[in-house]
Amino acid sequence: MIVCVAVVGHQNNPLYLQSFTEADDELKLHHIVQCSLDVIDERVNNPKKTGPTLNETFLGLLYPTENYKVYGYLTNTKVKFIFVTTDLDVRDADVRNFFRRFHSAYVDAVSNPFHVPGKKITSRTFAERVSTIVKSFGMSAAA
Amino acid sequence: MGREVSESCVDSVIIEMVSAYCNRFYVNKPDLAARRIEAIGYQVGLQLSESYTRILLVARYTMERPRFSDHLEAIKFICKDFWSELFKKQIDNLKTNHRGTFVLQDNRFRWLTRMSSDPSTANTDSSQDPSVATAENKSTQATSMHLYFPCGIIRGALSNLGIPCAVSADISNLPACELQLSVCFSITCMITR
Repeated sequence: MIVCVAVVGHQNNPLYLQSFTEADDELKLHHIVQCSLDVIDERVNNPKKTGPTLNETFLGLLYPTENYKVYGYLTNTKVKFIFVTTDLDVRDADVRNFFRRFHSAYVDAVSNPFHVPGKKITSRTFAERVSTIVKSFGMSAAA
Repeated sequence: MGREVSESCVDSVIIEMVSAYCNRFYVNKPDLAARRIEAIGYQVGLQLSESYTRILLVARYTMERPRFSDHLEAIKFICKDFWSELFKKQIDNLKTNHRGTFVLQDNRFRWLTRMSSDPSTANTDSSQDPSVATAENKSTQATSMHLYFPCGIIRGALSNLGIPCAVSADISNLPACELQLSVCFSITCMITR
């Protein structure tokens, strides 16, 4: 199950942050997202370590914690997508698929003429679409 | 190549926008009008680059190199993919001094193909100008007004790709009823690294 998704702008400014848990651990999830930004920076600026995945938008597993796994994605426009999941057994294809759909949702959201570039995404349609994508991720992982 | 209805609509919208800013909102303040038009282009460029890089990503999904590694790569994206999405053609010539300045030359800039330097038309939409020289000057100015929007688009797209820059455009040979007209976009990148 995905517990948190985040869109982070190119200056590491949060554009969208949404957690999907009942429990009161929002702050902790946000903290995890914050920490993962450093990992992304490290990967992007020292590409040698990552080898074959050089310059790919999909950054893969950023880091595993005890309870969570964090995945990242970096667009050409230097916008980062991050999600935190509690699933310990995640298929790579599922994650890629998730990010692909998430990316299109994001592109549609920022193409809205009323969206101010660099500001938080407030579109309700985007929020709905994201929660659908998040829910379907859980489904495909279970199936 | 056929011309689609939507294309004519876009042409009309742009012409109308430019004339609204020049002749209605900011009369006698061409600098201000230019800045506003450029700002609109900037936002359009930001959003277009967001979706076009996505298109590129899908189209080349199998290729494992979708992220741009340096400035030249991003400029090439502007010249090839971005330009052909916008104008159905690629940039004709790209020059660079390898120190952050790029010159993009389009020999048949699509948004200006409907423009001509006929002095009589230049006279009708401005107040009466008796001398032909001023009329020509006026039409040059009007044409350059139309170039602020594409400049803004390029600037918006590039800055969204992480390259802050300044873009200017100049027309090499004025369209004298011919279809051939070339526009040079000079891009000066501010290299921060």
